[in-house]
Amino acid sequence: MTDALAPDPPPPARGPTFAHASEAELARILDFYAVRWEYEPHTFAILWNLDGDVVESFAPDFYLPEFDLYLEMTTLKQRLVRKKNRKLRRLRELYPDIRIKLFYARDFRMLMLKYGKLGIIESLSGTPGQMLGPRQAPAPEAAVLELGALEPDEAADGSEPGLERPASPPARARRRRPGRRDAVVDKPLAGS
Amino acid sequence: MSAAPDPTQDIDEVLITEEQIARTVGELGARISADYAGRELTLVSVLKGSLPFMADLMRSITIPVRIDLMEVSSYGGTATESSGLVRILKDLSSSIADAHVLVVEDIIDTGLTLNYLVRYLRGKSPASLRICTLLDKPARRLVDIPVDYVGFTIEDRFVVGYGLDYGELYRNLRFVGVLRPDVYTEPA
Repeated sequence: MTDALAPDPPPPARGPTFAHASEAELARILDFYAVRWEYEPHTFAILWNLDGDVVESFAPDFYLPEFDLYLEMTTLKQRLVRKKNRKLRRLRELYPDIRIKLFYARDFRMLMLKYGKLGIIESLSGTPGQMLGPRQAPAPEAAVLELGALEPDEAADGSEPGLERPASPPARARRRRPGRRDAVVDKPLAGS
Repeated sequence: MSAAPDPTQDIDEVLITEEQIARTVGELGARISADYAGRELTLVSVLKGSLPFMADLMRSITIPVRIDLMEVSSYGGTATESSGLVRILKDLSSSIADAHVLVVEDIIDTGLTLNYLVRYLRGKSPASLRICTLLDKPARRLVDIPVDYVGFTIEDRFVVGYGLDYGELYRNLRFVGVLRPDVYTEPA
């Protein structure tokens, strides 16, 4: 029963919950230059079992609708990005029409250097940059979608040491091979 | 950050010599003069980095040209700007409606600033709008913008000189060089 005299405070305006501080920083940069972006709007199935169930999927971090371009960030050390590179190769094989750029730790470092923010690079990169709790988007008005709880883009991958995202239990992917149907899985909207 | 008394001491490697710059700027000027023959051209330079390039390029163009200058704020310039939006610090002095406009840039890397500028300038209804850059660093591109005139395509290294700075220094070097990494990794 709800106590009418003590109503819950209104929920704060919500933006995307970024998995990593470097993603939040990139969102701030895109906002600054008035580039529209969406955070993890689509999940692409990239591996299926014999029953046709998706067992591995990939959700690029950003989508820039004006440029029809996906951006995937990784601030892991180079030796740890092998798995992400493999997923990206697989994505490109299965969805050749998709335009996606992988933004490596070095790229992010150079970006911070360009903007004179190299001093905070360590706090935004790799393991220290992980965001374990919810974060507000830096400029929610620029986000096209307001997203609720996000599915991990490492669905069905399990975890491995050094991954910049918090370890998550493998999620049972729900969709089927491209060419059949529903190859692209839309992220649930907040409240859906 | 402080530069060495002789700023060339902070340079790891000369990437593009003064002579190479002069030759290429001359070639760009000749191409632009031919492409815009019979028309009047407005060069819009984006401060501050493109100043030396603009000065040399305009003098290598043989058709009538007008010039104008713009400056936009850069991300990270101040704490306020980091959480704000790009601002026009210096706007055009004259209308460019129905003018043939060529944006003159020192370097295009992410393409974010240029993308903003192009959208802004298109809103001013020019007859045409093209882009000329001395340096293009495609490896760093975030947003793709067609560039009509490119002086040099360079690899992904942090360069200074001939207008390009680090912490507002090194713009006066007559060449384009790679900054020694210890210059920007040393604590200020």
